[in-house]
Amino acid sequence: MEVFLAALWGALKLSAKLILIIVPLVTLFEVLRHLPVFRRAGNLVEPMMRGVGLTRDAAIPLFTGIFLGIAYGAGIIIRVAQQKGLPGRELFLMGLFLATCHSVIEDILIFVVIGGNGPAIFFVRLGLAVILTGLMSRIWKPA
Amino acid sequence: MSETGTSAPAGETIPDIPTRIRTGLSAGLATSFKIIKVSIPLYVAVTLLKGTPVLDLLGNVFAPVMGIFGLPGEAAFAFVAAFLLNLYAAIAVIVPLHLTPFQVTQCGLMMGIAHNLVVEGGVLSTTGARGGVLTLCRLVVACAAGLLLRGFWSLWETASSWAMSLPGLS
Repeated sequence: MEVFLAALWGALKLSAKLILIIVPLVTLFEVLRHLPVFRRAGNLVEPMMRGVGLTRDAAIPLFTGIFLGIAYGAGIIIRVAQQKGLPGRELFLMGLFLATCHSVIEDILIFVVIGGNGPAIFFVRLGLAVILTGLMSRIWKPA
Repeated sequence: MSETGTSAPAGETIPDIPTRIRTGLSAGLATSFKIIKVSIPLYVAVTLLKGTPVLDLLGNVFAPVMGIFGLPGEAAFAFVAAFLLNLYAAIAVIVPLHLTPFQVTQCGLMMGIAHNLVVEGGVLSTTGARGGVLTLCRLVVACAAGLLLRGFWSLWETASSWAMSLPGLS
């Protein structure tokens, strides 16, 4: 029983953390997304996104996931998927990219702290993500 | 304001700031709850699993495969901790093993790709993507990345030991 309560307490702490990060993030996104800067940044990343089979609609959730991780990125992913109606193919490609390359700052730093080679980890992950997602987008053609 | 974007939402009327903040707050809470509904039971299940011998059992199963990635068998326990729990649990196992810098890098690469699979798999599903398939992808990609890094490392070691053996260089 005590073990169960401890587990539940941990789960509640995780939930609080998720709310504290996701709510401000989604609010910030709602406030900023109409700014012309956002649109221009979208134009800038569009060619890169196309290389891995994604459209600019997926840019914000993709970059959120790359830097913040899957759990926090999911808040934005769900929101954008609803708003823009991202198709299943694009959701999968974005998921594949993020599966390989996500939360790059926190995850790599904790291994650098115990003696790992940060750039090696980062470039292998990024390279694999681009290659795999690029390949997959060519195998799975848009309907 | 020059609009050069091709897919700019032309027909969309832009709401004022207070409306946007309200939309953001309610949408943020709604998505948070969507994720929490999935993550709470999974987190509890995995934490309860930690108290059972299942983790040790899995570690023993995976120990023989660790050599493929240039890691000692004990590292398997760190992988089980990373896959089921999170990277901090894995680090706690790794530190006492006194691994070489290459081995730490290898762990960081493979575990960075595949960790916290149960909870994050659930979260991925809530986005509408196929969580199960993506989780499988993470495991496969982690192994591929591990083999790749091991390959690079052996090449590098061979090349540098060959360079060292050249006369006048050591």
